[in-house]
Amino acid sequence: MESVIQVMVVGIVGFPALAVLALGLRAWVYHPWSERTTVAIVGFGFSASVTVCAITVAWLLHADVSEVRVPLGSWFSAGHYSFDWNLIADRLSIPFATFSAVLLGLVASFSRRYLHREPGFARFYLLLAIFGTAVQFVVLAGSLDLVFLGWELVGVTSALLIAFFHERRGPVEHGLRAFVTYRLCDVGLLAAGVALHFMVGTSDVGPSTGGPWAGFVVPSTWAGASIVGLLILWASIGKAAQLPFSGWLPRAMEGPTPSSAVFYGALSIHLGPYLLLRSESILQASWLAAGAVIAVGALTALHATFVGRTQSDIKSALAYASMTQVGLIYVEIGLGFRYLAVAHIVGHAAIRTLQILRSPSLLHDHHHLEQAMGRQLPRTGGHLERLVPQAFQPWLYRVALERGGFDAVLKDWAVAPALRFLSRIDGWDQAWVDYLTKPSAAGERRSRHDEVRP
Amino acid sequence: MTIAFATVQLLLLLPMSWFAGRSNSSRTARHRASYAMLAAGVLAATQLVWRAFDLPGASWSAAWLSMEDPHSWVPAFSLITCLIGFAAIALSPISETRPTTFRRILLLVLVALLFLVIRHPIGLAVLWGASALITWLELRDLKQQRGIAKVFAIYHLPSAVAFALGAILLLSGQHAAGVVLVLVGIGIREAVLPLHSWFPPFVQHAPMGLVVAFFAPQLGVYAHLELLRDALPHELAHGVAAVGAVTAVVAAALGLAQTNGRRALAFLIMSQTGLVAFGLDTSSPIAQIGALLTWQVIGVATAGFAMTLASLQARRGSLSLTSPAGSFTRTPRMAVAFLFMGFASVGLPLTIGFVAEDLLVQGSVDEFPVLAFALILATALNGVSVMRAFFMLFSGSSKHIGESDLTKREAGTLTLVMAVLLLAGLFPAGTVRRLEHVTGEPGHAVAHAPPRAQE
Repeated sequence: MESVIQVMVVGIVGFPALAVLALGLRAWVYHPWSERTTVAIVGFGFSASVTVCAITVAWLLHADVSEVRVPLGSWFSAGHYSFDWNLIADRLSIPFATFSAVLLGLVASFSRRYLHREPGFARFYLLLAIFGTAVQFVVLAGSLDLVFLGWELVGVTSALLIAFFHERRGPVEHGLRAFVTYRLCDVGLLAAGVALHFMVGTSDVGPSTGGPWAGFVVPSTWAGASIVGLLILWASIGKAAQLPFSGWLPRAMEGPTPSSAVFYGALSIHLGPYLLLRSESILQASWLAAGAVIAVGALTALHATFVGRTQSDIKSALAYASMTQVGLIYVEIGLGFRYLAVAHIVGHAAIRTLQILRSPSLLHDHHHLEQAMGRQLPRTGGHLERLVPQAFQPWLYRVALERGGFDAVLKDWAVAPALRFLSRIDGWDQAWVDYLTKPSAAGERRSRHDEVRP
Repeated sequence: MTIAFATVQLLLLLPMSWFAGRSNSSRTARHRASYAMLAAGVLAATQLVWRAFDLPGASWSAAWLSMEDPHSWVPAFSLITCLIGFAAIALSPISETRPTTFRRILLLVLVALLFLVIRHPIGLAVLWGASALITWLELRDLKQQRGIAKVFAIYHLPSAVAFALGAILLLSGQHAAGVVLVLVGIGIREAVLPLHSWFPPFVQHAPMGLVVAFFAPQLGVYAHLELLRDALPHELAHGVAAVGAVTAVVAAALGLAQTNGRRALAFLIMSQTGLVAFGLDTSSPIAQIGALLTWQVIGVATAGFAMTLASLQARRGSLSLTSPAGSFTRTPRMAVAFLFMGFASVGLPLTIGFVAEDLLVQGSVDEFPVLAFALILATALNGVSVMRAFFMLFSGSSKHIGESDLTKREAGTLTLVMAVLLLAGLFPAGTVRRLEHVTGEPGHAVAHAPPRAQE
């Protein structure tokens, strides 16, 4: 029976991947499927994924087995290094995989009407299917190498969906900003994988050591565990929009509402915490890495809760609310409350997806509620006004309105000077070429100058 | 047998290049050159099959011509060179490519094919100089940007002379001086920092088909493999690897500051070349395999990427990266091909580029932990460059000038290139295994040096 379950686990990734193939090939030959067929293909991919997830869960519970490993062989190998396809279905990955497939299926169904006759209808579904496949890769990955593979694809699809309305400049700029953040943080993930290979010879998920789920093999020294732990934290904060790389998230809401919901309310934003949960063995071995996780989470939660209260549009407010909750989940993971973190992720993802999907009809919902209550909705958030001293409130409001100044600092003190410096070097290079190509130009200028001189 | 196939390719491409150059119009020249390249590709594929199935005469030797038998991997690399050549010709816009240019592109591909077969240092030096001369002649004929020919000559004359002198010195037993001179020649050709200044204006102003035919086959990498592998002293090898890594990072960073699409492409290629230079001079066989794969990926993916850019420029004119230009709605397939091949060249998962860069980084971390980290950073920055170019060239505006999407010819060629990158990425095990044999084969007999100290 275990071999059947292994095939099922492959199906969790395989069905969305088949949908990608069906949509992608057809779109390339300029004959995209009709809207109905497109939705049916993607819907089938995710529904089948949910079904095999459910069968796997049932079997795991019935057979009282904590994990199923699926070794699919080596993708490529050279010398002592081998990139293996290893999937793992356990108490951490299977709930996530099931939950992801359910949400993706729901969003696919919701988008059928929401994006009806939208010019990019087929593109949206293709990107959604690629995203779904990539998320399942990350969740079921049995090694950090395989995590990286899915992680990269999530980043690309995320940026492309933020820039979905590609004829406007804003979404494109915001998509690029999100992508830059992702790429810089992906450096941490690849470096962590390389460091694990260097220190322990493998980046595979190791054998279970008594915890609720297995984690990556821990380097033997504290310093090694700290380096790998910090690199993984670095990788996670990009996708999870934690400080100091949080500025892209409110901007990412420029994409279509369904993709905002499934990416930044539910799945993409929680891949950071998921990676930390999978790496918990490493965090436990290094108080420095665990402490850094707590610090990043706590600071982000504080920052986001204040900034979120000054936002004047619902999607930005929801983005900061997501950031706050993910910050709290980081704190829980750093403190070792694994089950609480898992429950928090699932609960938060579900409610936030619903909120973002409902956000376009917010005014209608408010009217409906007010009519039902017979009066205006009561103001919320007053407890913070009581906690913060009155003299301090205007300053805090201003800081929150400027999003803590993080964007300005990043732009004015890091990005702009770096680009200026690079442009200057490039300018010198071009001047050298000009000097080589037009040695007479300087001479000509000089002779002209001589001519006009009295 | 390899020599026999190369001779047939020579007998095919040489008259065809003349025939293409005599055409009345660029369109006819492209047509003729495409068929010639296709035939050369079929010959390369036949050679591959011949060798794979060990058909009669497969082991026939022509040592008198080549000094030694060509390497076992030459047929595969010949086929890739033909693919690069085909992309360079079939995707060349007629607006910037004259019949004479097609003739020179064919000649450059022919030189690259012969370069893989000839193992005699003097023969390599002659071909090295010939490819530079052919390219310079084309640049000299350009009506605009005449200065580019001058810059090219300033850099490539010393490169050819250094390479030829180095080859002579290596043959005469003056190994130290020979190695240094050959390295200088290769460094200029591969646009390694600080010998790179000719390259960005070359990519920016020369016909793109010529750029691809001259640069994508990466003769410098082959020359390095043939003449210098296992010949560099330990310290020098480390120095060259460090220069390669610095080139990879600095070029990737400079690519972000570019305001012109073709110039950004130049820095992207330079960065990738830096990765190859780094990998070849590590002592790890895994990193060397990664470098060889990166070499091939640069060739194929960058050829497709560059030619897509040229096709876009032929339709639009300007390739400014300062403000978004739109037109995704008008040219969706061109945009997808551009993005796919850009990402494939910088290591998009499931393409062969990902395999190459993974092996490169994993193999080099033991020997160069800091530089391996720098390579990861370079790859990340290159990815940003590709996405930035995609967004700026294909989106951000609803305006358009009526650009048309890929023609059947362009779509067919790009489909072929993308399929190669994707299929090679999905099933890379065989390729990697064969490259293990390459790194396992002993270095050339010309240059000997004391064996490197084991780490």
